[in-house]
Amino acid sequence: MLPGLRSVCIVALYAIAAGAAFAQAKAPGKNWTPPKTAWGDPDLQGVWTSDDSFGVPLERPRKYGNRKLLTDEEYADRAKENELLATSIQAGVTPNAGYWLQHDGVDYQPYPSNWSEYARRTSHQTSLIVDPEDGHFPALTPQAMMLRVAAVAASRKKPRPESWEDINMFGRCITRGVLGSMLPVMYGNGTDILQSPGLVVIRYEMIHEARIVPIDPPDRPRQHLPASLRTYMGDPRGHWEGDTLVVETTNFIGNRLGIGPDGEGVRYSEDLRLVERFTRMSDRSVQYTVTVFDPKTFTASWTVAFPITQEPGYQIFEYACHEGNYAMSNMLSGARAEEVNQPAVK
Amino acid sequence: MQIRSISLTLIAGAAWLAFALPSLQGQAYRAPRAADGHADLSGIWEALNAANWDLEDHSPQAGPMWQTGAIGAEPAGQSVVEGGEIPYLPAALEAKKMNFANRRTNDPEAKCYMPGIPRANYMPYPFQIVQSPRGILFVYEYASANRLVNMGKPDEPVSDTWMGTNNGHWEGDTLVVDVTGFNGLAWLDRAGDFASDKLHVIERFTRTDRDHLQYEAIIEDPSVFSRPWKISMPL
Repeated sequence: MLPGLRSVCIVALYAIAAGAAFAQAKAPGKNWTPPKTAWGDPDLQGVWTSDDSFGVPLERPRKYGNRKLLTDEEYADRAKENELLATSIQAGVTPNAGYWLQHDGVDYQPYPSNWSEYARRTSHQTSLIVDPEDGHFPALTPQAMMLRVAAVAASRKKPRPESWEDINMFGRCITRGVLGSMLPVMYGNGTDILQSPGLVVIRYEMIHEARIVPIDPPDRPRQHLPASLRTYMGDPRGHWEGDTLVVETTNFIGNRLGIGPDGEGVRYSEDLRLVERFTRMSDRSVQYTVTVFDPKTFTASWTVAFPITQEPGYQIFEYACHEGNYAMSNMLSGARAEEVNQPAVK
Repeated sequence: MQIRSISLTLIAGAAWLAFALPSLQGQAYRAPRAADGHADLSGIWEALNAANWDLEDHSPQAGPMWQTGAIGAEPAGQSVVEGGEIPYLPAALEAKKMNFANRRTNDPEAKCYMPGIPRANYMPYPFQIVQSPRGILFVYEYASANRLVNMGKPDEPVSDTWMGTNNGHWEGDTLVVDVTGFNGLAWLDRAGDFASDKLHVIERFTRTDRDHLQYEAIIEDPSVFSRPWKISMPL
């Protein structure tokens, strides 16, 4: 191929990739009209999944610098891994990739492959965090740093869980929090959106929480609950900005849950405020963004963005978490057994 | 004097007629219409009875945690079961008695397990009905349990679940929900009433006035009960 043509092709492919990854952030295609409900609100309803973003790291690996998109080569590598995962999972064999590769040789039975979901389209994103520019969490506040250091020191003193209090909130089947319920993980990535006049319900597959978002005119939001009434999923308030649903959530219980996937990671404070945006980009995709404001924990706000899609045959199943919580009891009984055999770990 | 008392009588009579005449004519309440054109059942509802303690007649007694005194005590309650008693098969009745004896540790409610159907509807916590084009969603405060009632072509259960596979349709202004696909692990109340994974529940929700739903459920499970039986209560 002629050198000039090759570079034009590369630029064109990059633009298509950028378009694919970020068309979601701009206006939808010209020939498509966003659907409306019978009462005239934009229609976001359906069973959506974040599966296509499974495998995209939350924070950007440093090697990508400020680059939001993969190069063609990097994209091809990721596509190959996704293909391997998808075909292995569908064939019912253990994939030699991802989670199973990481657990190869480890002395316990990893999840069988039919538990796992998989991307149907490969994402071009280098990270799920799209702001700040480097795709990383902003610096922690001094207060948050101290809490983190204390938490690490405490966990070092207690290498084995002694009670349910040493298990994380998801491990205890209490909650994964708002962001933790949206970020893609190995399974349970379904989000069901239902609408009724004046309400939008966001119902997560895992752990089956339903957020009921009241919709108000943008200039007349109803008040949040009083500050003394807090929950794990917070108190949401919604309004429409054109075709975008904007949900502002406050009143979180602080310093209990992490802000990352499954509610892990840096613990957020009670000052957490989330602003989520849901915009339908096509019949089968919605662009989801969430901006995290927590001035007690982070020195700046940060934003995560990725599409959620409808897939033929994709269903949400009942996720009976605590009803089948063998993980927690096994972790605790395993720790007790270890102590008998290996007392006094220093 | 005479004229005034006649006037008063007439006024009183007119007032009585204004109140009584509508019900004399049998003018039923007609629920407002939801966006789907059907009766609007949406809103926040809650049972106000002692059914969650025990579906059958029960006397006041100490609760499973007597140490909490009156706070954890079981109040008396009238049966919500048509005919009064649940028609257990003999072996199942023994199992129910064992459940009752062990309710402090074995009631799945204590472990915050999903309460199943019909129990979710008479837990002592509110729930919200959301009528949407995707179906009718019941969001229960207890255990964040919820269930989406499919209003289209009925779904077959794909797996056994706590909250069942819910298929609904309208009969006039009554929502009828047919529930199957249970895992047999939920109880029906705190008294150890239970069913197996062959449980089949047919519910009826009818809005009787602005603030009330009439709830009825037919419960059948041939491995536990000798015949189908029915509960009913206002919500």
